[in-house]
Amino acid sequence: MAPGEKIKAKIKKNLPVTGPQAPTIKELMRWYCLNTNTHGCRRIVVSRGRLRRLLWIGFTLTAVALILWQCALLVFSFYTVSVSIKVHFRKLDFPAVTICNINPYKYSTVRHLLADLEQETREALKSLYGFPESRKRREAESWSSISEGKQPRFSHRIPLLIFDQDEKGKARDFFTGRKRKVGGSIIHKASNVMHIESKQVVGFQLCSNDTSDCATYTFSSGINAIQEWYKLHYMNIMAQVPLEKKINMSYSAEELLVTCFFDGVSCDARNFTLFHHPMHGNCYTFNNRENETILSTSMGGSEYGLQVILYINEEEYNPFLVSSTGAKVIIHRQDEYPFVEDVGTEIETAMVTSIGMHLTESFKLSEPYSQCTEDGSDVPIRNIYNAAYSLQICLHSCFQTKMVEKCGCAQYSQPLPPAANYCNYQQHPNWMYCYYQLHRAFVQEELGCQSVCKEACSFKEWTLTTSLAQWPSVVSEKWLLPVLTWDQGRQVNKKLNKTDLAKLLIFYKDLNQRSIMESPANSIEMLLSNFGGQLGLWMSCSVVCVIEIIEVFFIDFFSIIARRQWQKAKEWWARKQAPPCPEAPRSPQGQDNPALDIDDDLPTFNSALHLPPALGTQVPGTPPPKYNTLRLERAFSNQLTDTQMLDEL
Amino acid sequence: MEGNKLEEQDSSPPQSTPGLMKGDKREEQGLGPEPAAPQQPTAEEEALIEFHRSYRELFEFFCNNTTIHGAIRLVCSQHNRMKTAFWAVLWLCTFGMMYWQFGLLFGEYFSYPVSLNINLNSDKLVFPAVTICTLNPYRYPEIKEELEELDRITEQTLFDLYKYSSFTTLVAGSRSRRDLRGTLPHPLQRLRVPPPPHGARRARSVASSVRDNNPQVDWKDWKIGFQLCNQNKSDCFYQTYSSGVDAVREWYRFHYINILSRLPETLPSLEKDTLGNFIFACRFNQVSCNQANYSHFHHPMYGNCYTFNDKNNSNLWMSSMPGINNGLSLMLRAEQNDFIPLLSTVTGARVMVHGQDEPAFMDDGGFNLRPGVETSISMRKETLDRLGGDYGDCTKNGSDVPVENLYPSKYTQQVCIHSCFQESMIKECGCAYIFYPRPQNVEYCDYRKHSSWGYCYYKLQVDFSSDHLGCFTKCRKPCSVTSYQLSAGYSRWPSVTSQEWVFQMLSRQNNYTVNNKRNGVAKVNIFFKELNYKTNSESPSVTMVTLLSNLGSQWSLWFGSSVLSVVEMAELIFDLLVITFLMLLRRFRSRYWSPGRGGRGAQEVASTLASSPPSHFCPHPTSLSLSQPGPAPSPALTAPPPAYATLGPRPSPGGSTGAGSSACPLGGP
Repeated sequence: MAPGEKIKAKIKKNLPVTGPQAPTIKELMRWYCLNTNTHGCRRIVVSRGRLRRLLWIGFTLTAVALILWQCALLVFSFYTVSVSIKVHFRKLDFPAVTICNINPYKYSTVRHLLADLEQETREALKSLYGFPESRKRREAESWSSISEGKQPRFSHRIPLLIFDQDEKGKARDFFTGRKRKVGGSIIHKASNVMHIESKQVVGFQLCSNDTSDCATYTFSSGINAIQEWYKLHYMNIMAQVPLEKKINMSYSAEELLVTCFFDGVSCDARNFTLFHHPMHGNCYTFNNRENETILSTSMGGSEYGLQVILYINEEEYNPFLVSSTGAKVIIHRQDEYPFVEDVGTEIETAMVTSIGMHLTESFKLSEPYSQCTEDGSDVPIRNIYNAAYSLQICLHSCFQTKMVEKCGCAQYSQPLPPAANYCNYQQHPNWMYCYYQLHRAFVQEELGCQSVCKEACSFKEWTLTTSLAQWPSVVSEKWLLPVLTWDQGRQVNKKLNKTDLAKLLIFYKDLNQRSIMESPANSIEMLLSNFGGQLGLWMSCSVVCVIEIIEVFFIDFFSIIARRQWQKAKEWWARKQAPPCPEAPRSPQGQDNPALDIDDDLPTFNSALHLPPALGTQVPGTPPPKYNTLRLERAFSNQLTDTQMLDEL
Repeated sequence: MEGNKLEEQDSSPPQSTPGLMKGDKREEQGLGPEPAAPQQPTAEEEALIEFHRSYRELFEFFCNNTTIHGAIRLVCSQHNRMKTAFWAVLWLCTFGMMYWQFGLLFGEYFSYPVSLNINLNSDKLVFPAVTICTLNPYRYPEIKEELEELDRITEQTLFDLYKYSSFTTLVAGSRSRRDLRGTLPHPLQRLRVPPPPHGARRARSVASSVRDNNPQVDWKDWKIGFQLCNQNKSDCFYQTYSSGVDAVREWYRFHYINILSRLPETLPSLEKDTLGNFIFACRFNQVSCNQANYSHFHHPMYGNCYTFNDKNNSNLWMSSMPGINNGLSLMLRAEQNDFIPLLSTVTGARVMVHGQDEPAFMDDGGFNLRPGVETSISMRKETLDRLGGDYGDCTKNGSDVPVENLYPSKYTQQVCIHSCFQESMIKECGCAYIFYPRPQNVEYCDYRKHSSWGYCYYKLQVDFSSDHLGCFTKCRKPCSVTSYQLSAGYSRWPSVTSQEWVFQMLSRQNNYTVNNKRNGVAKVNIFFKELNYKTNSESPSVTMVTLLSNLGSQWSLWFGSSVLSVVEMAELIFDLLVITFLMLLRRFRSRYWSPGRGGRGAQEVASTLASSPPSHFCPHPTSLSLSQPGPAPSPALTAPPPAYATLGPRPSPGGSTGAGSSACPLGGP
C-alpha cells in the first residue's frame, strides 16, 4: 500500500486544481463531467476518439432536449380534467315545478286598461285588411264604444304602416291615409315569396328623440305585425300598473289548480307559492315553500310524481297578446329562477301530458381548469334576480342593466334593477327605439354580455320526456267533468268543458341519478413523478443533478468568466502601467500558478463569500496545488488502484 | 488532466507546445495506472474513433465508466464469487421485474385506451338547419294520368279483396275491372298462411298459394301480399303482410315508385304559389325570414320540403339567446287538398333538425306536427368527438370508407349506409332505387325496363338488414357527430278568442280557406333551450409522454440506468464486435503471413499487426506489462504511426513519432 499512498500524495501534489474553483471553463466542464451522476456526460470526457466524443455530446444534448420537451408537454397538459360518471340510486329530491297559464291576466279584469288598445287594434285590422265584423266582434265593439271619440293615442305614437315594396321610402299611415316619408333604413325586409300579397308589408317605425333617426320594422306576416305592435303597447300600459293590482288581476292558485296529487298524497293550492312573471302573470311553484323541507319521491313512476289538473279558461284569453291556449310548466331547482319563456314546456288542453324526468347533476372544476364560476360573485354583473346564479340570469341581468344605462328605464319582462323604473311612454317617450337598437346590439354581441357572463360550475338538469294522450276519454268525461265542476264550484260558475282542462303528470322515470363530476387529471405528485420518470429515463438525472447543473453551469461558470475578465483587465492595466515601471517578477509567478493569481486579485464567489483569511494563509504555504482535489481524484483513482494497481504491484 | 498552466495561457495556442503536453501526459500515465478515465488526448493526436486493444481493456473501461448500476456490481466485482453470484441473481431479478413492468406498460399503451371527457361549453350557437315537409306528395302533371290509373286499380283491388267501395269514382263493371287488373304486374293477392307461421313478417314460399276470395275466413289464416319473381320466373316469392292496410300501402308505394321513375330528368320548376302557400309566416330571432334563408326540394313521400338555414344560406343564423322568442317560428298550412290518400296517411307537417352539411333524412329523424296545435320544439346540442386512428374505428371525412358518397354532403353513417345500399342495388339489380340518389349513367328502377327489380329489391332488403351486404361493417362511424336532442311541448293554436282575427288575416293574406279552421294550420317554434352544450370527447388516457415517464420511473426504480446507459451498452457491443473482428482479421493475417507463429497469444497478434491498414493498435501499457513486456517495443518501432486505433485520418507524418511516443507509452510504472 505504500506505493499507493505515495502515488496519491504525488497526485495531490501534481494534479491540477479542479472542481468548482477550476481556473478555466474547460477544466470546470471536465471536472463536472467526470464527477456528475448524470449519465452521458462522463462518456464525453472518457471516450477516446473524436467521433465517439462528438457522438456522446450529441447523445447527451439530445437527451437533455428530450427531457425539456417532454417536461414541457407534461406542464402544458397539467390542467386537464378527468370526468367520472356515477349513477346513484337513491331517494331523489323532487324539483320545483312552476306552472303558468300562457295568458297572463284574465281578460275581463284587464279589459278596462286595454280597451283603447283593443279598439285601435281592431281598427287597424279593419283598415289594413278590411275585416267584416262578426257578431261577436260587434259586441266587443259596443263594449268598448265608451272610449270612442278619443284620439287614437297608441297609433299616434307608434303607427302601423303599410310599406309599399315598389316605392321605397314611402309608407302609408293607414289611420290617416296620408303618405308619409319614411326616413331611415328599413331594417328587416320581408320576403316576397312567402305570401301572395307581397307588394305591401306591414310594420312600424321607431324613432329616436328628434325623429331624425328612425328604424322601421316590417313583418312578412300581418299576424306577427299586429301581435308585435300590440305587445309593445301592452307592455307600456302594464308597466304603469302596480304589482299588487296585477297579482289580483291574474289567476289565483285555487282557480288554476283543480286537483293536486303528489306521491300518492293529496295536496292543494297551499303547497304552491306564488311567483309573478311579467309576461305570464301569476305562476305557481310547487315544492318551493320557504322554511319547509324539500319533498322527495320514494318511487319512480307516474303514480308517485305530481299529478295536477289545471283549469284553463280559454274565454279569458287576450286575443291579441297570446294566440295559443295551454299552460307552461318549468322544472327547475328550488333556488333557480324559472325562465318561463326559455325552458318552459307547453301543455295542451284536453290532453294529459306525462313528463318523465331523469336527473343529471354536473360539477365542473373552476379556474384554472375552466372558465366557470361557483356562485357568480366573480362576474362583474349584478344579479338582479332573487335566485342563484346561472348563465341565463347573467345574460338577462346584463341586458337589463345596459337597458337602464342606455335608455334610462327597465324592460318590462325582466325584474327591476334597484333605483329604476319600467319603461313607459309618459316618462320615456322613445324607449322603444332604444330597446330595439339595444336588443339588436345584444343579439349581435356588441354589448359584451356574452363574453362577460360565465357558466355556472355546478348545475342540475332534468331531462324530460313528454308524451301525450287524449284526456278525458269519451266515457270517463261523463262523470269526470261534473265532479270537477262541483269541485271548482266556488271559483267558477260554469260547467267545465273538456277543453278547459289539462292534466299534467310529472314524475321521475327511475330514481337513478347521474352525476358527472370533473376531477383534476393530474396532481402535483403525479407531475413530479412524471418529471422524475422523464429525467430518469433519458439521463438518470435527479433533482440533485439539476441543482448540480445550476451550480456548475451558472454560478461557477460565471465566476470563472468574471475572474478571467478581471484578470484581463488587470493585465491590461499592468501593461499600461508597464512602460514606466515594469514589474517582472510578479507576473510569471502568476502565470505559473493561476490559482495564486486569482486569489490575490479577484473577489471570486468563494473568496468574496467566506474564505479570504483561510485562503490567504494557505496560499503562501502551498502555492501550486491550490485546492484540495483529493476527494475528486478519489472518485476514479481509488477505483483504479483497487482494481488494477494492486494487481500490478 | 493536461497541464492547467498551458490551458491557462489562452494567449498561447495549445498546439504550439506539443512537447510539454506529452511530457505531462507521460507523467500522468505513469502515475495513474488506469489511463482510460482521466486520459484525454488532445484533438491533434486523437483519432476519429479509437478502439481498445483487448477485451480486458474494454471491459475495464466499461466497468469503470458505466452507469448501469447492477452491471458494475455484477461484472466488475471480480473478487468474490459469492458476491458475483448474489449480484447476478439480484440483477436478473430486477431485470425481470423491470421487463415485466415494461410489458404491462406497453400492453396498456398499445391497447389504446381512451378516457371520456365531458365538457359543458356555453357559446353562441349556430342554428341548425331545419327541414320541414308538407307530408303531401306532389302530383306532377307528367305522371298524373298514370297515378289516376293506379288509384283506380287500387280501388278495384280494395273492392275485390274487402268488398269495400267507398270511392265515388269507382268504375263499376267486372269487365273493366279485369282489364285494369291486367295492366299492372304484381297484383295484390290474398294468401293462406303456411302452417308453421314464421315470426318474420315475410313468409316466403316458392309455390303460389291457393287464392281464395272468401272474406269470411278467419283473418288469422290469411295474409295479403303480392308476388315477385326473378327474371325468368323460375324463383318467385310473396311479399306478404298480416295487415291489409300495410299490404295495400306497400303495394301502392311499390307502384308509385315505378311511376315516379318515369319522371323526366329535369323537372319543371313548380309554380311559386304552391310553394309559398305552405308557409304563412316565418320569423327567426324576431326577424322575418327571406328567400335567401331557405331552399326547396321535393321528397317523393313527404312532398315539398323546405330547408331553412342550410349551407346555401347567405349568412347562417346564430342563436345568442336561448328561449322561444329567439328561435325559428313558422306558421304552416296543414291542409291536404291534393294529396295521395294511399301514400300518406297522416296530416300535418314533418319537421327535422339536422346539421347544415347533412342531408335531411326525413324517414330517419323527424317530428310530425299536428294541425291546430302550436308545437314548441326545444333543442339541446350535443357533440361527440372520437379519436380516430388507433384509438377507435371512425373516419374523419369518409374518404377511407370503401363506399362512394352519393350525396352532395358530408360523410355521416346514414349517408354511407344509403350509398352502400344503392351501390349494391345497382350491382345486383342493375337500376337505382328512387329514394336514394343515383350515380351517373344509371337509371331508376321501373318494372317496365327492369322487370324483376322488385324481386331483387326485396331480396336485397333482407340481405341488407341481416348485414349480408356488409354495409354496416363497411360504413364506419364518423369521428365527430353533432346531434340535437329535441323535446316538444304542445299548446292549442289559435286560441278561441284569437282564432277569429288570425283566420281572417290568414285568409286575406294567404288565401287560407277559413272553413278549415284549426285543422288547416299549424305553428312550430324551434329554439335552443339553453346555450350550454355538452361536448363528449375522447382523449388518450395514456399518452406517449406519460408512457415514457412511467417507463423512466420503472427503469430508475429497478435499475437506475437511463437511455444513455443503453447507448453505452450498444457502444460496448459495437466495440466488442469491432475488436473481435479486428482480432480475427489479425490472427488470420498473422497465420497467413507467418504461420509458424500461430500459437501466440492474442496480445502478440495485436502487437504484430500494428501495420494493418484500417486500425493501428497501440499495445496497452498495463496489459502488456502484465503478459509480455518484451515484444511490445518492437511493433511500436516497426509501425511508425502507432496511435490509437484510428479509422479516421491519420496523424500527420511530421508528428507521427511524437504521437507514437505519447500515445504508446511503453514504460510501465
